[in-house]
Amino acid sequence: MESHNEPIITIRGLEKSFGTKKVLKGIDLDVYRGQIIGYIGPNGAGKSTTVKIMLGLIEQYTGEVKIFGQNISSGNVEYKKRIGYVPEVAEVYDSLTGREYLTFIGELYGLDYDVADEKAKKLMELFNLEKVYDSRISSYSKGMRQKVVIISSLLNNPDILFLDEPLSGMDANSVMVFKEVLAELASQGKTIFYSSHIMEIVEKISSRIILINDGQIVADGSFDELKEKSMEGSLEEIFNELTGFNEHKEIAEEIVSIVQGV
Amino acid sequence: MKDFKILRFIDKFRGLFESFGVDYDTMRKILQLKFILDERRVPTVMQNNTSKKKKEEGNSIIKSLWFYILLGLMLVPFVILEGNYLFKMSILFGILMFMMMTILISDFSSVLLDLRDKDIILSKPVDGKTLSAAKTVHIMIYMFYITFSFTGPALIVSLFRSGFLFFILFLLEIILMDLLIVALTALLYLLILKFFDGEKLKDIINYVQIILTISLSVGYQLIGRLFDFSDIMNIDFVPKWWQYLIPSMWFGGPFELIINKNYDAHIIAFSALALIVPILAIIIYVKLTPTFESNLQKLNNSSGNVKVKDKGLNFYLSEIFCRTKEERTFFRFATNMMKKERNFKLKTYPSLGISMVFPFVFLLSAVKNEGWAHLANSKMYFNIYFVALMIPTILMIIGYSEKYKAAWIYKMLPFTNTRDIFKGTLKALIINLLLPMYIFQSIIFMFIFKGRIAVDLVIVFLNIMLFVVICFKFMKKTLPFSESFDVANQSKGFIVIPLFLVILALGGVHYVATKIDYGRYIFMLILLIANMFAWKKAFNISIENM
Repeated sequence: MESHNEPIITIRGLEKSFGTKKVLKGIDLDVYRGQIIGYIGPNGAGKSTTVKIMLGLIEQYTGEVKIFGQNISSGNVEYKKRIGYVPEVAEVYDSLTGREYLTFIGELYGLDYDVADEKAKKLMELFNLEKVYDSRISSYSKGMRQKVVIISSLLNNPDILFLDEPLSGMDANSVMVFKEVLAELASQGKTIFYSSHIMEIVEKISSRIILINDGQIVADGSFDELKEKSMEGSLEEIFNELTGFNEHKEIAEEIVSIVQGV
Repeated sequence: MKDFKILRFIDKFRGLFESFGVDYDTMRKILQLKFILDERRVPTVMQNNTSKKKKEEGNSIIKSLWFYILLGLMLVPFVILEGNYLFKMSILFGILMFMMMTILISDFSSVLLDLRDKDIILSKPVDGKTLSAAKTVHIMIYMFYITFSFTGPALIVSLFRSGFLFFILFLLEIILMDLLIVALTALLYLLILKFFDGEKLKDIINYVQIILTISLSVGYQLIGRLFDFSDIMNIDFVPKWWQYLIPSMWFGGPFELIINKNYDAHIIAFSALALIVPILAIIIYVKLTPTFESNLQKLNNSSGNVKVKDKGLNFYLSEIFCRTKEERTFFRFATNMMKKERNFKLKTYPSLGISMVFPFVFLLSAVKNEGWAHLANSKMYFNIYFVALMIPTILMIIGYSEKYKAAWIYKMLPFTNTRDIFKGTLKALIINLLLPMYIFQSIIFMFIFKGRIAVDLVIVFLNIMLFVVICFKFMKKTLPFSESFDVANQSKGFIVIPLFLVILALGGVHYVATKIDYGRYIFMLILLIANMFAWKKAFNISIENM
């Protein structure tokens, strides 16, 4: 296993273009075990692209990405066995039942059917979903679906978890449980990559915050460090300052005046 | 999970897949999942039923196979008829390839281009090769089901009529052809994705679907009327260079080569092509699939360089043809939806195509039988009434949408009456679809029948306008774009037949009017008044009744 000082993810000079548009302009990053990383940035800054590259979903990038010490462009997909992923827009095969979907995902991770089934069932119970385990996912509400996606990302006991806006649609109680789960997992040495636009949550749960803007990392450190540097009180304000956004008052006023102008 | 017989059959090829570097067990699991999903393509209406419905599962593709068997009967004559093997078999393969390509593009594009797979499966420890192998096998299985149903009758007949050797040759070539088509289609998509973004590809697929549907239905009409098959079969075959470019010609080669022992150079060349090209295509496809998968990502991106448009023609048309503001709004809304929604185009354009061609089909057979001079003086211009055939269909389809759930906006409207909604929408239909087509046909008809029919053309148009209102009145009224397409395929088709009687009756009155002095003018006046009345009164329906 990797020791604490040895990075679990190493990214060097990562660049990526879609057509003529350069989305990532050189990302350098070392991530260590047990960190909960709040990965934040404005829409279109390149957050999802970075995560998708690490998952091998986007290819043809320049630079080097190493996960568990292995260069992921080698074509070997074994490293994904130790990764869990909750995408921002989580597609599921929703004509399957919860059981069918989760066991399928478990089996893709290399678990036996019975092991996956057992684990999925227990997790569904803990998320109050035991009654719908054998109903089609298409009949679930948004929050229930999200819980299924989260469960599917945990089945393989991953060492790295990529979470992109994982709480959307979930009720306050489940959110509380889940935040606790994340803290517990991190203390066990798991690494969590948490992307979100809800700054309050990121501020609370992250041990390290990385702010990406226009394809580059513009801030990297714990919340306290960032606070010290920028002299701002909340992560939201730090975010505004670092992304060079300070006219929110003016824009708001203009919006209201246009709304009233009808 | 349910186990499928077909999977046990594929298990026999395990070694083959593994030699390509595919993780067989994972591929099998993905396939199993896909078959379960295919069984569950339930109409959206039923999805909201949380209560578990009694299992009414069954693969709709497999259920439709009998239809292909029936359709396949048309291939039997090619096997039975005497004649040059090269000729008849290449026609047969021409039809077959066209059919399979159509089916592949229209029904299986969604499988090839599925992006969910990528996010859900590739983020797990599954390599791209295994996923694309699963996708390809998935499609292949259905392609084989369909081809063998379609060629089944011909295959069986050939076994008895032309012997075992012919049968085996036929069977092998069918397999090669399927490989070729799947590989070609995938490579075609790859090429498109290389140069265009996903939206463009979806548009191209949409147009291919429309063109193929039209040519299938229209071609069926024309071929039967214009050609005599026994003539074609007896033409002497002369090899030409361009024939090497027609894949269906290649497949005719081996029959001549092996059964007739015809060792002409071109026969050998055709046979070689029939064997080599499909295998080559499949190899290239296997090599290129990683590129394919990564280009697929583009499906989600649209290039974003959309031209900024000003109000456009649409806006001015709505100003001219609509009275109230609300009507104009719905005129523009309906026009935009009709132009943009692919499913709408797919469902309506074929019937537009048919009503475009139908009037001329009958003219053509009249020309064939009696000659031009006779035609120009006849009353055959009544054929233009066939344009009206599309109206019930289109009126029906306008009520549906892929995104039918967005119809909640109607509930937010501060309207009490649906008059403006329907009037605006129907006017948009008439101006955008019906009128351009009618004008085009009228011009051609004017050339054929000369100016004497000008008044009649006006009458026909007035009749059609009236027919629109009558159709609207008699059909179930749904707010535009407010129901799911799946509902459309149930019931409702029956109402169309009595409606055709209505247009027949209107046309009949028109016919009688031509026999009376000034009859046409009187009828035109009556129609004008009837139309004004109908368009004023027909649409007063309270929005609550929707």
